Amino acid sequence: MKVERAKEPFCFITSSMLVEITGKKAHHLKEFIQMLKQIDESSIFYHVHRVFREYSFAPGQYSNDFARWVAEDLEEGTLAEQLASINLRDYTDINSLRAKLVDLVENYLMNAVEIRRAPAGREFYFLRSLEVIIPTSHTVWTLKEFCDALNRVGMRSLYYHFFDARLRLGHKTNDFSNWIRTSLDNEELAQKIDEIDPYFMTMDQLKEKIISLCCEIKEPSVPSLATLFVRLAKQFMGKKKWPR
Amino acid sequence: MAKIKLSDYAKVARPQNIDEIMLLAERLQGKTIKMVNSTNTGGGVAEMLHRIIPLYNDLGLKVKWDVIKGNNAFFNTTKAFHNALHGKKEEITQAMLDAYVETNEDNSKELTFEEDYIVIHDPQPAALINLKDKTKGKWIWRCHIDTSHPDPRVWDFLNKYVSRYDASIFSAPSFAKELPIPQYLIYPSIDPFADKNRELSQSEINDVLRKYQIPTDKPIITQVSRFDYLKDPLGIFETYKLVRKHVNCRFVYAGGTASDDPEGTQVLHELQERAANEPDFHILLLPNFADVAVNALQRASTIVMQKSLREGFGLTVTEALWKAKPVVASAVGGIPLQVIPNFTGVLVHSAEGAAYQIRYLLNNPAVMKKLGEYGREHVREKFLMTRTLRNYLLLFLSLQHPGEGLIKL
Repeated sequence: MKVERAKEPFCFITSSMLVEITGKKAHHLKEFIQMLKQIDESSIFYHVHRVFREYSFAPGQYSNDFARWVAEDLEEGTLAEQLASINLRDYTDINSLRAKLVDLVENYLMNAVEIRRAPAGREFYFLRSLEVIIPTSHTVWTLKEFCDALNRVGMRSLYYHFFDARLRLGHKTNDFSNWIRTSLDNEELAQKIDEIDPYFMTMDQLKEKIISLCCEIKEPSVPSLATLFVRLAKQFMGKKKWPR
Repeated sequence: MAKIKLSDYAKVARPQNIDEIMLLAERLQGKTIKMVNSTNTGGGVAEMLHRIIPLYNDLGLKVKWDVIKGNNAFFNTTKAFHNALHGKKEEITQAMLDAYVETNEDNSKELTFEEDYIVIHDPQPAALINLKDKTKGKWIWRCHIDTSHPDPRVWDFLNKYVSRYDASIFSAPSFAKELPIPQYLIYPSIDPFADKNRELSQSEINDVLRKYQIPTDKPIITQVSRFDYLKDPLGIFETYKLVRKHVNCRFVYAGGTASDDPEGTQVLHELQERAANEPDFHILLLPNFADVAVNALQRASTIVMQKSLREGFGLTVTEALWKAKPVVASAVGGIPLQVIPNFTGVLVHSAEGAAYQIRYLLNNPAVMKKLGEYGREHVREKFLMTRTLRNYLLLFLSLQHPGEGLIKL
């Protein structure tokens, strides 16, 4: 792999979660929706991302806890499918995701003939997470070093840089693409990594996919017109970032 | 046997998880921890402390373990508390409450609390919180009991103490209560190097099967549980009869019964009576501390069952999943947290359902293999002791940053 040194290094960070029990539990959809409207953002984030964080070994059956509860404990198949089909990639902030969830449940309830109660002990318990982030010892300057480190860091690091980053950065990218774009000037690779849909793969698969893209597109051999334009514009304007 | 070190767990957990535990521990260097419970032998809490404290020490953290002392009146009271918190009707007198308070006061005079973090396990020593104002440390109450349906009188009495802690820990979301303090979720866990879970050689397994006269000529379906109606031994026998109409197999119900538990003896006799003419239904009365035997029976099984009517967290399920066994279990207590339907096992609601699923699995070895593999990975990620260790470290760190949802170190 031909080495190209980045302008700034990439420092892998790991994130650990401690789960807090909020004490709020819903017995049926009417209670659920009231709580969903008021619950902390961190609770919604936890329930839609937990599956990806915890099942690194196999794709899960449900993309989020809400869909799982509605399917298994309320046996409301249609709503469960609608909730499971929410494309998290479309959301870069929790409140618009919350609005979508509320909208789906409210629409469903308008036509519901009966309100089913979850069996005792199978109510929906709203949890939230407390996140502790720590820099790891893996700091890299080249794509090769990046791939080597990606193989060595834990899934929690991958999660932090890929899933967490979207909400932290507030737009549809991730920390890896951000670094590859701004520090390695490799727009093509950054874009390819941006285009990965992580919600239908395990963390192991996601890691392999990123590494294989890095091997395929080591450096932009023929920069695209868009890349050239962005570079020229940056030089011309003396700015590091193209204005959004 | 050589002492197990934290680094040994990198062979069974993901090695990166061990690296991350070390990163967290680095931020706690110099901190001291005290664990307090009511016994140093017997019982799950003591067993866990014996195994986890050396790992804290490996991480450079100093942990002291104190055991409170009490007389019969005190332990009879806390046993009644335990039952009442599980929802059983118990008579609690004022004299019993007095015994509880007095014993905690007596222990307060003998124990010192100079550590940074004080973890009090279960209700027995909970009233030691009265010393909190004289100490600098953060106080944590760790509840190992299923408190989803407690007797309100006992819970209200304990709540006076519990609500004064800095934080509490429960084993399942449904066990948590309405409290003015943060409640964290830390699942119970198993130690993969303990006798109940460690790898066994085929000859060790064969020795146990020979001892208990279990031939290996047919698939073996096992449930390891106390002889207790709530574990549904009679339902297991019904399941056996339904399965045996179609598949040639053996069932094993293995468990112990305490000498002071008359109901256990009655359950054992009833089951023995029903199965008297069934040579393929094996009933094993195991002695205490038969950990290797339990391990061997689980490993020799084709399918492991846990058809309980009520259950706490259900660590026997965790043990079976870790051994990559397909598990057929009831959707009660903490079992659904472990058995994700048709992914890490199968959930059932009746003897008929259990029999149907067992027949299906016995005819589909590839499905059994997949369930077993995913079950083991599920435990590897969530229910090994290293996960408990990590969660405690996170809790200690979070107590240094009260009110912060995102802690950057």
